[in-house]
Amino acid sequence: MRRIPLREVHKELGAEFGEFEGWETPMIYESTVKEHLAVRSNAGVFDVSHMGRILLRGSHVYDFLEYMVPKSLSKVSVGSMSGPTALLNENAGFRDDVMLYNLGENEWMLVCNAANIEKVLGWLKSWRSKLGYDVEIEDATAKLVMLALQGPRSSEYVEKLGADDSVLGLKMLRFQRDVRLGDTKAFLVSRSGWTGEDGFEIIAEPRNAAVVLRRLVEMGVKPAGLAARDTLRLEVGFVLYGHDIDEETNPLEARYWVYTPGKTNYVGYEALREIIRKGVERVRVAVKMKKGERGIPRENYRILVEGEEIGRITSGNYSPVLRRGIGMGYVESKHALIGLEVQIDIRGRVQRAKILDFPLLKK
Amino acid sequence: MEEIKVNGYLVLTDRRYTESDEWVKLEGELAKVGITDYAQKKLKDIVSVELPETGSEVKAGESIAVVESIKSVADIYTPLDGVVELINEKLLDQPELINDDPYGEGWIFALRPADKSKYDELLTPQQYAERIRKAEGG
Repeated sequence: MRRIPLREVHKELGAEFGEFEGWETPMIYESTVKEHLAVRSNAGVFDVSHMGRILLRGSHVYDFLEYMVPKSLSKVSVGSMSGPTALLNENAGFRDDVMLYNLGENEWMLVCNAANIEKVLGWLKSWRSKLGYDVEIEDATAKLVMLALQGPRSSEYVEKLGADDSVLGLKMLRFQRDVRLGDTKAFLVSRSGWTGEDGFEIIAEPRNAAVVLRRLVEMGVKPAGLAARDTLRLEVGFVLYGHDIDEETNPLEARYWVYTPGKTNYVGYEALREIIRKGVERVRVAVKMKKGERGIPRENYRILVEGEEIGRITSGNYSPVLRRGIGMGYVESKHALIGLEVQIDIRGRVQRAKILDFPLLKK
Repeated sequence: MEEIKVNGYLVLTDRRYTESDEWVKLEGELAKVGITDYAQKKLKDIVSVELPETGSEVKAGESIAVVESIKSVADIYTPLDGVVELINEKLLDQPELINDDPYGEGWIFALRPADKSKYDELLTPQQYAERIRKAEGG
């Protein structure tokens, strides 16, 4: 198993480790519910160093990336992120969903899912040779730590770390490079995250990241594990690769708007255009258990109407804010009706739920 | 009350235990059942509980309840043959009682044992503590 650089620091902080996509990483500290609620009301910090970080440099890097993703990059200025967007296969299925960072001077960074690092590297390299572009592709995952500070009070904590106005004034999906944080520094700080809250993602060398992590925790930011990250993203309806999307899922049925309508020249375009023309047979929807139903929908549970299966849950868990089981899944298009009462087969016990739109938690 | 603390997990000496981390306590004619401190700490945030029906006849080793946490779903096995007499309905709205007080307020069901003497065949507190020690690698 791959190990994250700050493993020992997390151990000191009381982390219980688990395996996620080949990485040994903090799953939970004391309580997922407490970590979740801290992120919703104050702030929490996650170590997301398992996320792939790939640096791309060279005179053709812009043209190359424009061809690799369905979202137009023409308006992505230096210091801005684009995403989520995706790498699509030729059938317009998801190879991965990714974030792109315009680092400037023919230099970009791509952040991908832990599960797909090797696949994405291989995919980028094979297209580079096919297209004959001058692009250097470097996997920087192992040498940098990525922390996600998330929660409504995140900016107060970033200020306390010693960040200046260039960081505090960042708008969503903007970043600063080579940031001073008191007597330590970061390679990059962005205003972004995956919890539906305000927040900052800090990418730094391990020794600097260790300082940042320890300081945040001393200030009262709750260390949070991957389990809380999962329950947080479920409340706002974000998809997790390998569960809610994969090579066989397209952006339309996932209702995952990773493409710019009108853009025509990229991998997967022809297939995607055809899917848009024809429409889809299944649709990703949110589900919420009805009041009084205490079951928790989990991956692969059946979604029923009048006893007939109309789809499956792709991910689900307990919502600490709604205090109810929630999830998402794909249902046949003809039953993809917001407000429709359905049943979830919870290990043989059929319980009532409702089909809803995302996000389940309205802010 | 006497207790054993092993690797940070509490084992009470006024009851017996099972290999699947339930505790059993005799109270008059009934045997009360719950999950151990070790089990609740492994499961962490308990968010849902399914209870058996009162009056149902159960066989030792049968899964008759479910305790679900954010991270996993655990079957609860009845340690003895008997008839379910009481269920802790409080758990339906407050499943976290199992985390807060696994040996008290967090009890799950009580049954009338078909043969009370079988209780003596369950794990003693010392035996159960030893199991935890082994599972935790010393």
